[in-house]
Amino acid sequence: MREIIAAVFIIAGMLVFVVALLGIYRLKYVMNRIHAAALGDTMGLGLVTIGLMILGKDVFHIAKYILIILFFWMSSPIASHMIGKVEMLTNKDYDERVHGK
Amino acid sequence: MNEKKTFWQHLQAWVNGEEAMLHADEYIKKRELPRERNWIRKPDFQRIKANKGLYWFLCVLVSVVFITIMLTVVANLPTFGQPINPANNEVVERYLEKGIEETGAINFVAGMILDYRAFDTFGESNVLFLAVISVLILLKRDKKNIDAREDRETEEDERFDKSDHKSILKIGAKYLSPVIILYGIYVVLNGHLSPGGGFSGGSIIGAGLILYAAANGHEKMHRFFTFKTFTLISVGCLLTYCGCKSYSFFTGANHVGYEIPKGIPGNILSAGFILPLNICVGLIVACTMYGFYALFTKGDM
Repeated sequence: MREIIAAVFIIAGMLVFVVALLGIYRLKYVMNRIHAAALGDTMGLGLVTIGLMILGKDVFHIAKYILIILFFWMSSPIASHMIGKVEMLTNKDYDERVHGK
Repeated sequence: MNEKKTFWQHLQAWVNGEEAMLHADEYIKKRELPRERNWIRKPDFQRIKANKGLYWFLCVLVSVVFITIMLTVVANLPTFGQPINPANNEVVERYLEKGIEETGAINFVAGMILDYRAFDTFGESNVLFLAVISVLILLKRDKKNIDAREDRETEEDERFDKSDHKSILKIGAKYLSPVIILYGIYVVLNGHLSPGGGFSGGSIIGAGLILYAAANGHEKMHRFFTFKTFTLISVGCLLTYCGCKSYSFFTGANHVGYEIPKGIPGNILSAGFILPLNICVGLIVACTMYGFYALFTKGDM
């Protein structure tokens, strides 16, 4: 039973990763791509790690997975924020590009 | 004494790159181009290319010869994956049976790359060092390769950097970079006990340093990491590595007569030279990573 629940979580996470990958290739602009990439880093990684936590053997395993999630949920938004900020500051056609023609 | 001093001055000027340009223009005007001497008649490729039939024939001949040589060599190699291959029985058996006894490291990979094949790792560290030195030669700013326009540009960049508050990045770096650097140190120190080691741990430490520098600017970084620190750490670690392994080399690769105590496998202070060598490699890698970042962004450490 435990394995099945874990497998469901891990497969759901993998599907989220597939969606994120599709988004990165399909979307053409930086701001849209950030959204797709951050989806994989937050939700996909979270689901996969929850699945692995269910499979975990003792408390220390689970604590390590919690640390991994904490690290990624702290660092990934900051990285996305910095990329977006740099794009906003350096792209001269930013207003035109984002707020329509 | 006087002549010696002028020689020293000459040498100094030559090292600084001034002497080379002294009479360069006159020399270029006066010099005679070396006469071309055709001792050996070189084959005329244009003529061969013009002759289509001969050209095709030579192409096919050369290709066939090389293909034959390579296929013969491949055919003579032992079949891949056979249990009787030397790679599958002798080397692996030796490593698995005597690895702990001979190196004292539980992590066999560390035992291999830092004990059996330590000179290979030494070469890799030297490659990293040479790479950062080449970048240093090309990109380091000093008063000789900078003009007023570039100076103004860097000033503008710095002013822009200071006016930008970057509060989110600063808070993130405040909590994340100490943890990242601590984890890198853990990976380096546990290189002989668990997966990891100098290269991976060093790159983690370098990533932490880069995060700190990106958030807080180079001025704050200069409080504890300047160009002098970089030089001292890189050169010191390479020399320590070289010294340790020279000791092994001159005592006959097994420290005959002058044993390094191996300790109990599994303890943090064990495995002879592997722990200090891991620390050396880790420091070199961390310095190289941060050096690349600093040189490419600002042209200075």
